[in-house]
Amino acid sequence: MKILIVEDEQALRESIEDYFTEAGNICETANDYASALTKTNLYRYDCILLDITLPGGNGINLLENLKKNNYPDGVLIISARNSLDDRLLGLDLGADDYLVKPFHLSELKSRVTAIIRRKSFNGSNLLKFNEISIDLAGKEVKVGKRLVKLTPKEYGLLLYFIANQEKVVSKNAIAEHLWGDRIDIADNFKFIYSHIKNTRKKLMEAGSKDYIQAAYGTGYKFSAK
Amino acid sequence: MKLFARYNRVNLVTNIVLMLITGFAYYQAISWVLTRQKDKDLQNEEMEILEYVKYNQELPQVFESKYLQIAFKIVPTSSVKRKFIDTLYYKKWGKDNPKRRIYHTDGDYEPGRGLVTAVIAGHQYYKVIIVESKVETEDLIRIIFLITAGVILLLLLLLLMTSRLILNRLWRPFYSIMHELKLFNIAEPTAIPKLDTVIDEFKEMNAVVSEMAAKAKHDYQTLKTFTENASHEFNTPIAIINSKLDSLLQTDAFNEKQGKLLDDLYEGVSRINRLNQSLLLLVKIENRLLQEMQRIDLKTLIEEMLIQFEEIYQDKELILRYQLHEKEIFANSYLIEILLSNLITNAIRHNYTGGEMILELSNESFSIRNTGESRALSGDEIFTRFHKSSGSEGSGLGLTICRQICENFDLSLTYNFDSPYHIFTVLFPA
Repeated sequence: MKILIVEDEQALRESIEDYFTEAGNICETANDYASALTKTNLYRYDCILLDITLPGGNGINLLENLKKNNYPDGVLIISARNSLDDRLLGLDLGADDYLVKPFHLSELKSRVTAIIRRKSFNGSNLLKFNEISIDLAGKEVKVGKRLVKLTPKEYGLLLYFIANQEKVVSKNAIAEHLWGDRIDIADNFKFIYSHIKNTRKKLMEAGSKDYIQAAYGTGYKFSAK
Repeated sequence: MKLFARYNRVNLVTNIVLMLITGFAYYQAISWVLTRQKDKDLQNEEMEILEYVKYNQELPQVFESKYLQIAFKIVPTSSVKRKFIDTLYYKKWGKDNPKRRIYHTDGDYEPGRGLVTAVIAGHQYYKVIIVESKVETEDLIRIIFLITAGVILLLLLLLLMTSRLILNRLWRPFYSIMHELKLFNIAEPTAIPKLDTVIDEFKEMNAVVSEMAAKAKHDYQTLKTFTENASHEFNTPIAIINSKLDSLLQTDAFNEKQGKLLDDLYEGVSRINRLNQSLLLLVKIENRLLQEMQRIDLKTLIEEMLIQFEEIYQDKELILRYQLHEKEIFANSYLIEILLSNLITNAIRHNYTGGEMILELSNESFSIRNTGESRALSGDEIFTRFHKSSGSEGSGLGLTICRQICENFDLSLTYNFDSPYHIFTVLFPA
């Protein structure tokens, strides 16, 4: 997939670029309004990560330009302002999602993956990872032909892992993804452990390989290797 | 005590004392003048008797008179010293005076003034007592007393009336300013209105109060803007740290020690972030930036929340009981979610393993009670910013946010301790 990162903060831009650059992905970057405008007018991307406050202009205008020209690029707004108005404006103008800084890279990846998935698999809602196949519309998970019964949280966890496959995902990121940032429970991560344990057990009982690995007590990695 | 009640009291006491002194002085003066007058009459009478005796060498005949009684008495020579005395005057009533029948006597004593003197008539030494009734003098004094008392009463009445009038009229601007001060809310944009008064003191007071209020509001606004900007500025560096940590996690294999360090770093960043988000939220609530109101089905919302929290309270083996009735309120759903989630989070966080959590929703209130520490929390302090119970890893802003949200929607949030339960109650407006 081809991604454009429009972000003026160099450190953040580089982190995102690093995280997204992997086999089969092309990442391009723009650090101000003008270069972003040029790039979006010249090339098409699967997803554009768009910061709202940019040197030389507003990300919202870029979004308007994309929509005016009927470019099909997916757009994910990343903003430092957690303002409901901004969010609504962005989504009204046709952005696919809205993420507020600060965020975990794994969360960003999972959102971008979801956008691209929606855009590219027109109608086909089947997500495959080796022997695991997921019907996104019916929220059904199968290992081979065997149905795996997952709770909504375990299902969310699996999708999150697959979107961030081969990456170490921190416990904090998982907690925030599953329970949202409104639920201030970061002082206790034990229940995450039990969720992961259950998911892993259910998948393996259905015949899947053991993909979920604990990483240094800090996080987990979903890996086929 | 009102200022005017105090003033009146002092005023009244001085006036009454003054009146009493005046009355007494009047009494003395008039009494003195009248007594002199009587004494002169008595002297005249004495002179007449002496003249009569001088020419006739015998005592005059004594007639009964209405106002004067004269008595002669033989006494040893030179035993009488001439002097004026205060004595009694026996007044005989008229033949048909009804008092005669009532009291079965023919008269009554009244105050009198007498002159004791002596006369020699026909070689005989006589003591002469001339007594005159003083009843008119007493009447006069009584009238003076009544007038004085009347004036005191009148004064009292006038003072009461004027104070009423003054309280209602003159002091109205004062009470109006007081009222404004009571309503004063530093977070509200409304200014203290200009007062319509001609009294300089009140004008000045109004001006000073308005100015002070405006300054307080301005300072508060500046502070809020600062907090908001600071919080927003924090978001970017926190985002950078967060993303760098996420990137660091991907680099190489870490040993257990490094893993622990990373874990602590994540935890620290996460806390800064939550703290910052809480501050931003507070500013937003105080600035009333979240104003989209809608009908909220509280019962459904609470049930959804409990599902969200299921893993967390189950992990702590809490016993959950709830009784929820249908209740709708009109508020901002985002804020109400935060309110409920903060209260539930607290009830879980400050509980012990195997404790209880009881939720009740009725038409009047929503209450959440939980077991926890065995003693009551300080009711006022828990709602202040950054107040934290020992060992809490929360931001210290949760309850402040709750209270602020409640204030926004005319809800009231209270804390009670009913051993072993800590109870937080949200009262809905009637």
